[in-house]
Amino acid sequence: MSGPVRPYVITGGRSRPSRNVLALESLVSTVPGADTGEAELNREHQRILALCGRLLAIAEIAAHLHLPLSVVKVLVGDLWDLGAVQVLPPATAVHRPPDVPQAERLPTSLLEEVLVGLRQLR
Amino acid sequence: MASANSAEPSYLPSTVQGAVKVLVTGPFGVGKTTLVGSLSEIAPLRTEETMTAAGVGIDDLTGRTGKTTTTVALDFGRITLNPQLALYLFGTPGQQRFWPLWEDLSRGALGAIALVDTRRIGESFDVLGQLEEQGIPFAVAVNVFPDTVHHSEQELRDALDLLPDVPILHCDARDRQAAYDVLIDFVAHLHATAVLELQP
Repeated sequence: MSGPVRPYVITGGRSRPSRNVLALESLVSTVPGADTGEAELNREHQRILALCGRLLAIAEIAAHLHLPLSVVKVLVGDLWDLGAVQVLPPATAVHRPPDVPQAERLPTSLLEEVLVGLRQLR
Repeated sequence: MASANSAEPSYLPSTVQGAVKVLVTGPFGVGKTTLVGSLSEIAPLRTEETMTAAGVGIDDLTGRTGKTTTTVALDFGRITLNPQLALYLFGTPGQQRFWPLWEDLSRGALGAIALVDTRRIGESFDVLGQLEEQGIPFAVAVNVFPDTVHHSEQELRDALDLLPDVPILHCDARDRQAAYDVLIDFVAHLHATAVLELQP
């Protein structure tokens, strides 16, 4: 980055992503050869597309591009709307609807998969 | 702490279908980034989030003007659990002024590991209260420093005012095996709890 840019400038004044389902651990990858048509992509959009040739989480994109998390969510949301990136939602969201409160039961099958993986890596 | 932000990104395998996350929280200096670093397969990364003035709250009584946002640094790491699933570990500040960020950080988290330094136990009261209030499943992990005095589990449970179902674990956050044991014990606890809740 050549210098600090205020977040609302980068995102065109928006502070909330168009799709609030994006989480820190949502996984993003650029869709090769996607046609973004007439859409005006700014430099930060382009940097995300260049970075995400393979899978990275929203948090990783923010870290590598030195952008605040909320800004990356907005920009990835734009690119997602354009079909320029693919987004894999968090594994917990696949197992239950997004409106289910935090305290609701976690799926045992997912926890078991995490546990087996950790025990193998220990 | 050094981070690897400037290095070539370490990508996930293309077979990964999704990720889960666990928060690592506790007061400043308790060893959150150390624990994340011991567990992570990549050098911990640092990212930032901004909070608006509304979120600064009671800390900002100095009457300074012109300061409308504050920045919070988050250190995080990653474990590829199997070819389809990854786990992210987010070091999450445990001071009250960061509560406005918690809703977003904790949404969808499997739970949180609350690191405690028993030499300054009072500093953990806020974050334990917040975890209870937010209904986030958690375990307490005592980060054992060289001059940490041993306390019995019951002494710790009383001092921290913990419910009986909150596990109390111990580790040296610098030690990979010990860090893994804490994470494994915590996820095993979550799993056992989830299985129990399935019983009629």
